[in-house]
Amino acid sequence: MNRQVPLVLCFVFGIVMIVTQFSPHSVSQGLYREVISWALIISPFALVLATVTLIQTHATRIQRRTEHWQYSYVVFAGLITMVVIGVPFGPQNQVFEWLYTNVQVPMDATMFSLLAFFIASAAYRAFRARTFEASLLLITALIVMMGNVPVGDLIWNTVLGWLPLEEGASKARQWILDNPNLSARRGIILGVSLGVISQSIRIILGIERSYLGGGD
Amino acid sequence: MEPFGIWVAALLTLCIYSFLYRDNPLYRFAEHLFVGISVGYGIVLSIHQGFIPFAWKPFWAAVTGESLSGLIKLIPIGIGLLFFARLSPRHTWLIRYPIAILIGFGAGIAIPNVLRANIFEQTRGTVEPFAAMHAGTLSGTGIFEAILMVVGVVCTLTYFFFSVEHRGPVKWLSKVGIAFLMIGFGSAFGNTVMGRVALLIQRADFLLGDWLHIIS
Amino acid sequence: MDRRIVFILVALAVIIPMLLPVNLPVSVSEPTQKLHTYIDALPAESTIMIAFDYGPASLAELNPMAKALLRQCFDKNIHVIAITLFADATTLASTLIQEIAAEKGAVDGEDYVFLGFRPGATQVILGMGTEISSVFETDYNGTATGEIPIMKDITNYDQISLLIDLASGSSTESWITYANVQYNLQIAAGVTGVIISQMYPYLQTGQLVGLISGIMGAAEYEKLIDVPAKGMRWINIESFVHLLIVILVIIGNIIFFNQRRREE
Repeated sequence: MNRQVPLVLCFVFGIVMIVTQFSPHSVSQGLYREVISWALIISPFALVLATVTLIQTHATRIQRRTEHWQYSYVVFAGLITMVVIGVPFGPQNQVFEWLYTNVQVPMDATMFSLLAFFIASAAYRAFRARTFEASLLLITALIVMMGNVPVGDLIWNTVLGWLPLEEGASKARQWILDNPNLSARRGIILGVSLGVISQSIRIILGIERSYLGGGD
Repeated sequence: MEPFGIWVAALLTLCIYSFLYRDNPLYRFAEHLFVGISVGYGIVLSIHQGFIPFAWKPFWAAVTGESLSGLIKLIPIGIGLLFFARLSPRHTWLIRYPIAILIGFGAGIAIPNVLRANIFEQTRGTVEPFAAMHAGTLSGTGIFEAILMVVGVVCTLTYFFFSVEHRGPVKWLSKVGIAFLMIGFGSAFGNTVMGRVALLIQRADFLLGDWLHIIS
Repeated sequence: MDRRIVFILVALAVIIPMLLPVNLPVSVSEPTQKLHTYIDALPAESTIMIAFDYGPASLAELNPMAKALLRQCFDKNIHVIAITLFADATTLASTLIQEIAAEKGAVDGEDYVFLGFRPGATQVILGMGTEISSVFETDYNGTATGEIPIMKDITNYDQISLLIDLASGSSTESWITYANVQYNLQIAAGVTGVIISQMYPYLQTGQLVGLISGIMGAAEYEKLIDVPAKGMRWINIESFVHLLIVILVIIGNIIFFNQRRREE
């Protein structure tokens, strides 16, 4: 029951989704729609996993008085405030939208903008043309960076205007993205996709079972 | 945004930027508040935009007899409820049921679609320019780019091919693959810089414009 | 050099140009032009779907392009169905659409509709392929989908001329894999800088009919619709920061090679 039934369920749902996609018969298409609607119904419940894990982590921090445990109360305060306002009054409630707009949005946007500083610092300290491969990476990055901004074209045409190159850093950037970058990305896509397909087959056949977790 | 909201957003923005000097209580407060608020927001949206329309409404319709055909929906709702087994250590294994269904569904739907979108289509994209070449409609530059693309894709795939030892010609193909990958990663870095800097500019625009009114 | 000095230089490279009226010319790239041309060629009252698949962390790059796209659609009387696969984007998308609709005089339900968010990206994409109302029984305001004027003749993707995915993650690949392959829905994307490079294989095969690339793409699109806004303004400021980073990299390498020569 603990492991065999989930393996059977996984197999059945996997096979049904493969078969129904290839059969235009009305029964098959009805089944296809039904399975999709089942998946739609089950998905929102997965939220329980994330929420319980977060609550447990911070409750444990408070219980064990680990470093900076006091801040876990801030997590709970934020979470409870949003839930207490949002669940009964809905996401279009004015206070709920105010908290989203003036608390969540600015912090989320600022948190990721910190990376602009770190990326600049890392570029200065670690971006070195040590080897041929590193030089390729560095030169490409510099061309793309300049091609991504209007000033790049001005500089490119002033510095390299005497060379028989296409006009502007933006054109050079576009050529890189359209050609060598495309080849590398396509190689990655093909490799990853073959991996996804083989892993999916292993999952459906019950060879790959790590999603069941440990224990009985 | 009204003035009070702008002040709250600006002060929280500055709390997060204080991390640039060093880790400090203001940053930790903002960081934890952000986690709590954003998880709370996610919970509310998942309840109102997921749980209620997909589970609660069909359940209520079935229970009140409004839609008896909806009775079948009680099965996936019941399976979804098994996620709550996460709350009881003795019954945690029950969450394997909904997870197995979602995993089986995902694997089954992925196999034919990933095959078509990422293997067949990407292979077609790689060889198609040669049809144009054969028809004589490809320019000299086009021919060079078509050959470059095939070389890039094959060499990148060779680099990821670990079933044979990378010696002799395979080693050289793989080395060329690395060169393509470096150009790919270099362009990704250049584009990432653009993205991260844009986030910083947006925050600066908010602080200098909306908050301090220094810029219009 | 202490990293905090680099931080100050970066901050100055943003703040100083922000105070100056910088206006450098922007050239339009082919992928952006393709998308603009595609939408421009659609007959009036066609319907496009816009998926706001990004959270507040990416609004700096994607909001300007979303606004430019909506302006073009409303000007051309193209109906817009907006949705999101990201819970975090719901309020953001709703507010943004209302802002541009108010500016252009577009009417909710007649010119556009925001259906909201549903969890389970793959299921949502596949479900809408069979019947949109099976996933979105109501719009974000709670109006039954069947009662919304612009939804009257829309059952599934067959009646949608184009889907534009505004993405900060892997959602574009999902739209291509499930909506394009399974239901022949035409897809275009507007993406953050981080994922631009990985979109190119799909552009070459035609699985993407067009691509707006980060803040530069947003500026290009603003130029195409002739409404300069934040994209144009910010890309000019961005020039100075990129220039600073390039100079820092060059200085770092000069120091590195000098040290290596001395050691040898």
